[in-house]
This record gives sequence, C-alpha cells and structure tokens, in this order.
Amino acid sequence: MLVEEYLLTHYWVPLLLLPLGIGMAIATERIRRIGGCALLVLIAIALIGHPERLDTSIEGWSLHLLISLIGPITALLFGIWFALFSGPIPVAPMPRNVRPFGFALMILSLFWFCWMLFEARPAIDGTHNPWWQHLTTSLLTAMIIIAGFAAAFVLVMGDERMKESAIMSILSLSSFLLLIYLLAEGTTSDDPVFWRSASWGALGDLAGMLFGGGFALMLFVTFVWLGEKRMGVPDEVEPLSIDETTRVKEILKENLEGEA
Amino acid sequence: MKTEGDAKRDWRTLSLVVLGLVILVFIANIHLEVRGEVESVDISSRFVHSAIISFTMVNGALFMITLALSHKHAKLIEQALGTILAAVAGVLIFGLLVDSGMTVAGVATDVWSQFSMGGIRIIIVGFAILLAFGASFGLLLTLVTGRENPPDPLLELESASFDNEDE
Repeated sequence: MLVEEYLLTHYWVPLLLLPLGIGMAIATERIRRIGGCALLVLIAIALIGHPERLDTSIEGWSLHLLISLIGPITALLFGIWFALFSGPIPVAPMPRNVRPFGFALMILSLFWFCWMLFEARPAIDGTHNPWWQHLTTSLLTAMIIIAGFAAAFVLVMGDERMKESAIMSILSLSSFLLLIYLLAEGTTSDDPVFWRSASWGALGDLAGMLFGGGFALMLFVTFVWLGEKRMGVPDEVEPLSIDETTRVKEILKENLEGEA
Repeated sequence: MKTEGDAKRDWRTLSLVVLGLVILVFIANIHLEVRGEVESVDISSRFVHSAIISFTMVNGALFMITLALSHKHAKLIEQALGTILAAVAGVLIFGLLVDSGMTVAGVATDVWSQFSMGGIRIIIVGFAILLAFGASFGLLLTLVTGRENPPDPLLELESASFDNEDE
C-alpha cells in the first residue's frame, strides 16, 4: 500500500526531521541554533497544518491524542514548576505561598486525567480515539515501575526520606490498582476485554522497545568507541616560550598578591 | 560515608525492586488474561516488531543528531556511517520479517502498514514513558527540595578580612 502524500509531508517527514531540529537547536554555534529553531517551527507548522480530518488516519488519531492531553499535561508541568520554585531552595524566584497552588495544579491534572479515563474518553464526533487505551495502559505500567523505583531510590540513597518514599510508593501502588481495576472492570465506554488486550499488547511493545532501543544505544557507544580508538595519540604539546612563561608569572603574581 | 561495596549493594537492591515490579505487572496481566475471554494478542510478534522498529528509529534519530552536532574537528565517520547502516539494516530485516509472514494482527499485511502502525505504537509508548518519568521525578523533586534544613552555621560567621594584617 502506498502512503498518502499528505501523511508524508505533514506527519512522517516532520517526525523524521525532529531529531535534526533538536540537535541543531542545542548546538553551540549561533547560526546552527537559529537554523534548528527555524526547523522546529517548520515542523510544528507542518504538524498543526494537517490538511485532512484527524479521524481519517491512524497518524491523525495520534495527533488528536496529543491535543487531547494538552490540558492535564500543562496543569502538571505548571504545578511542578510552581511547587518546585516556591519551595525552600536557594533558587526561588516565586513567593512561598504559591507552593500549595502548585500542588493543587498537580492534583487537578490527576483528576482531569481520571475524568477523561472514566467519563470522557477522547473522541471525534462520537468515534473514540483508538490510541487511548494503548497510551493509558503504557502510562500506568511505566508509572508503576518508575514511581516504585523512585520510592526505593529515595529510601536507599537519601537521608531519612521516609515521607517522600511513602508518597512515591502510594503513587506506584495506586497506578497498579488502577490498572488492575481497568483490566477487571473496564470503564463506562470500554469493556474490560479491550483493556486486557491493550495492556497485554503494550507489555510486548514496552519490552520490545527497551530491548531494541537499548541495543541501538549499545551499538552507538561501540561506534563512538571505535572512532575514539582510531583517533590515535594527540601530538606532544610544545613547552611554554620565554614570553609565555613571563606572561603566566605576571598573571599569577597579579592574582596571588597579598596571599604569600 | 558509603564505600564502593555499599554502592554495589544499593544498586543491586534497586535493580531487584525494578525486576520485582516488572514481574508483578506481568503476573497481574497473565492472571487476568486467563480469567477473561480476551481476544488473541500475539505478544511475541508485537515484541519482535517493536524491537526492530525501535532499533531503526533510535539509530535514525542518532544519525540525525550526529549530523546536527557535527563540526570540523569532529571525527564522525564511524558514528554517522554506523548509525545510518544500522537503521537501513533494521528496515531491511523488518521488511523480510513481514514478507515472511510474521505480521501483527489488526492491520493490513503490507510492510508500510505494519511499519507505520508499529512506529506510532512506539511513539505513543515513548511518550507515555516520558510522561511517567516527568510526573514521578517532578513530584519527587518538589518533595525532596521541600524539606526545611537548619541554617548553615558557616553563614553566621563573619567574612574574613582580605587586608594583609602584617602590613
């Protein structure tokens, strides 16, 4: 089957160029940074300017999923930002009374997501987004493992971090219970059978992704190592000339004056 | 102060915690699978497709980033050539696999349909992992930095005079 031209120009090619844009945007040279930012803007325009309805292709549905999650993700990010930078840290440009508002935004984000999960599954004209279950089961599975790891990490490596560890454990455990509930009972819009098949498939995807991605990274490290190995020993550096030695002595004397 | 042996023990503990959680999730899924009347999901073909597509995508992304960050002093032949060849090899292996009949259910059996479906699945899983990382470690960071510590006694000391007292 041939791919539609608009999907190439408004989805796959922008996605392909995304790493190039990010790489250029973080480069040290100014011109390249500007080029990278311009490329990222073009990528955003190409994705936003999707010419067909989003429910006509699986690519369009994936963009719809991203748009549907903008609300809770924004609330979460702002919540973390407010709570973090209004806490007792040296870099704290925000007033301390903003901190509860930050946590409130995080809780709002959680409730927003749960409301979407149980009451308002993302849809276009009554047709549900087919990627929703895949994202939810992947997110919950990842959350169980990552929050569980964070709880153990803070307990093992931290200094008397029982409270933080307990909160992260609660997060991991609630994600697990929510996943089990979905697999056993489902939601108002979906039978548990669909949740089970989505979760089972997501496990295969997650494991395959970790295996394939990890293997690619190991291969990359090998390429870098090969490149370094071929570079050889650098040339010997010439000793300082008399003029250079005199200049260095002057600088040292200037800066160390009064301490001797 | 922690010694090297302690660090090894700590990381072993953390690895066991992660392994335990992964097994827990698998057991929970398997238990509910046998209880229910789930439609057939071929997890092995999903795993193989996902692994090859991830391998291809990560190599492709690393190739692009290598190009973006190249400069005149960098010796990037191995990196650039290696990553692009690995990505091409990934695509070829995927094509052979689909042509040999190892396909994922629920989508047309041609190579592009299988690849695009797998690719979007990988992108969504990657997005979910990123979101879980951001939420978990963002919350942890706010909690960890929220603890009030007693002021550093060094801050109460007067600053030293830089005038030379001998003079």
